Amino acid sequence: MGSITFNHVYKRYKGEARPAVNDFHLSIEEGEFLVLVGPSGCGKSTTLRMLAGLEEISEGDLYIDDKYVNYLSPKDRDIAMVFQNYALYPNLSVYENIALGLKLRKTAKHDIELRVNRVARILEISHLLGRKPNQLSGGQKQRVALGRAIAREPQVFLMDEPLSNLDAKLRAQTRAEIIKLQSELKRTTVYVTHDQVEAMTMGTRIVVMKDGIIQQVAPPRELYDQPANLFVAGFIGSPQMNFIQGSVTREDGRFYFVNKRIKLPVPEHHYPGFNRDRNGISFIMGVRPEHALLKADTGREEEEGWVRCEVEMTEITGADSYVYVRLGEQTVIVRTDPDKLHRKDDKLLVSFAMNKVHFFEEQSGDSVSLKGDAQ
Amino acid sequence: MNAWHWISPAKRKRIIKQRYLYLMLVPAFLWSVLFAYGPMVGLYMAFIDYQPTLGKFWSSFFGGKFVGLQWFNLFFAGDEFFLIMRNTLVSSVLSIAIGFVVPIVIAMALNEVRYMAFKRVVQTVSYMPYFISWVIAANIFVTLLSADGLVNELLKLLGLTRDSILFMQEGRYFWGIVAGANTWKDMGYNSIIYLAAIASINPELYEAARVDGAGRVKQAAYITLPMLKPTIVILLILAVGNLLNTGFDQYYLLGNSLNRDYSDVLDTYAFRYGLQNGMFSYASAVGLFKSIVAFLLVLGVNSLARRMKSNSLF
Ligand SMILES: Nc1ncnc2c1ncn2[C@@H]1O[C@H](COP(=O)(O)OP(=O)(O)O)[C@@H](O)[C@H]1O
Ligand SMILES: [Mg+2]
Repeated sequence: MGSITFNHVYKRYKGEARPAVNDFHLSIEEGEFLVLVGPSGCGKSTTLRMLAGLEEISEGDLYIDDKYVNYLSPKDRDIAMVFQNYALYPNLSVYENIALGLKLRKTAKHDIELRVNRVARILEISHLLGRKPNQLSGGQKQRVALGRAIAREPQVFLMDEPLSNLDAKLRAQTRAEIIKLQSELKRTTVYVTHDQVEAMTMGTRIVVMKDGIIQQVAPPRELYDQPANLFVAGFIGSPQMNFIQGSVTREDGRFYFVNKRIKLPVPEHHYPGFNRDRNGISFIMGVRPEHALLKADTGREEEEGWVRCEVEMTEITGADSYVYVRLGEQTVIVRTDPDKLHRKDDKLLVSFAMNKVHFFEEQSGDSVSLKGDAQ
Repeated sequence: MNAWHWISPAKRKRIIKQRYLYLMLVPAFLWSVLFAYGPMVGLYMAFIDYQPTLGKFWSSFFGGKFVGLQWFNLFFAGDEFFLIMRNTLVSSVLSIAIGFVVPIVIAMALNEVRYMAFKRVVQTVSYMPYFISWVIAANIFVTLLSADGLVNELLKLLGLTRDSILFMQEGRYFWGIVAGANTWKDMGYNSIIYLAAIASINPELYEAARVDGAGRVKQAAYITLPMLKPTIVILLILAVGNLLNTGFDQYYLLGNSLNRDYSDVLDTYAFRYGLQNGMFSYASAVGLFKSIVAFLLVLGVNSLARRMKSNSLF
């Protein structure tokens, strides 16, 4: 119960040149916590709203539990939705807010009472049941909104940026609670956010979207370790992955990534991706800040794999510090031990953990490594 | 020492910085001095025995004999006081009761209309009477309601009556006619305020209700109406403040000697005595009495609204 299938779903708004959602094709399994993530305007909400029945589907089929639901109204889809602005009924008490959905579904009165009280206990809002929404804080309002969804006991939970109106601390706390609730209730949840940290911490599977098009669907770890393209690589992870422009040359059967300043050996597992005719094509090498290393410049001849650079600035976050170093026209962020102090204009050497780097075709942005794997 | 020196330097700086804002206030300030506060000097007339002398307004104004509350006593003790107050209050309450609800209903109904062209046509058509002068509007009503007018013809056609009903001649119809005319004239205009308030409601609320399974009626009851409440309360305060301000034109134009017992309100009464009979002081006293009651009503309703923890005007 609670599986969802999108079969090549499109959403075209009137007067818009390109579709807001473009060929969304995905199956969501029962009990999954799926997160839709992407920059603002990429079509996450539109996708969720089509699933909720609040927005018409322009093309394609939508199934919930193998039932064709394209034309089913929201109330008949066995879903519950949590909105960004809480959307509580302003003149109803917290109790009535949670109960209304049940009442409209003709649930027996004592059953409603039982469910509301149980949900209130789980969310620790029992003491608020008599209050009106305007007497609640933002965090409390969002709990009530969650309670309203949970009390209905639907097959599918839909949440559209439910935490984005909360302050940082409350957001982290509520995030943890939603994760816990979901794992206890084991209901299919589709969660929309623009925040990649939220996506990475909450989802069992993540859909990265851009311009209405799915970029990659994968569990968090895989998304981080094997981004399918430049966009995903840049979107997931903070600070961002470093992108270094260059090309690939072949010498004595070995591949090297080269530009004006550097010449680095490409690890062998990437070879299949480069074996095809790639002459004159530009590539981007992607390195996460934790996969770069700094050491003092001894002033001697360059050692293989080490590149001269100078410090631009240092950002200390507490547990880590991030050093921004200049490498020609390129700035590269390196994660370092916060104990090591680097001052602006310090001359250093930087090297990259080559077995962890990613290569992308500059033109298409596609990952070379994944293409290689597929061959 | 001029007044400028009494203002602290910080404030002075701010005033200079915001000089254009102050400049923009000037017309409104002049307007209220000239047309709202200035004429209040004339209220003095209610307390003297003013006898107009041609060409000598100020001397006859300030030279008039001070008579205290004589004109008020005369009005309260007069035979017509009860009748005038009854007409004013009943007619006004009826106008507010109908005229207040109809725009809300129109706005909520229009909000449900999905067909934009139809919505716009209805809005424009209901808005138009607001711009028609009462002289024309009253004539339309008199014509429609005359013995051989459209309304009587319709009633006869439907078999609801055999003889024409004399709407304009029988006083008991008057309050209803005025309430209807008032409502008809202002409903489109007043509904715009509600439509604007509805447009500002977060659509998420309606979506949440749809997911919850609430239909159109339930959505109106649980979302639209509660969200309109602050607007309704404020407009109600303003309406009650105007309870005695029935308006003059419609009563003067729709009233006649046959329905005088129902159509004579404070404004027409003051007009008849003040301008037609030349009893300026008496008419001033009647007008002042009306203003004081209106002022007390506004204060009363406002504090009531505040005590109900609702939105108050001030
Ligand atoms: N009602 C609408 N009419 C026209 N365009 C819309 C409408 N709603 C959303 N869009 C467009 O569709 C795209 C996706 O919007 P949305 O799904 O809200 O993005 P997000 O990922 O930020 O939630 C945006 O470009 C937006 O401008
Ligand atoms: Mg959105």
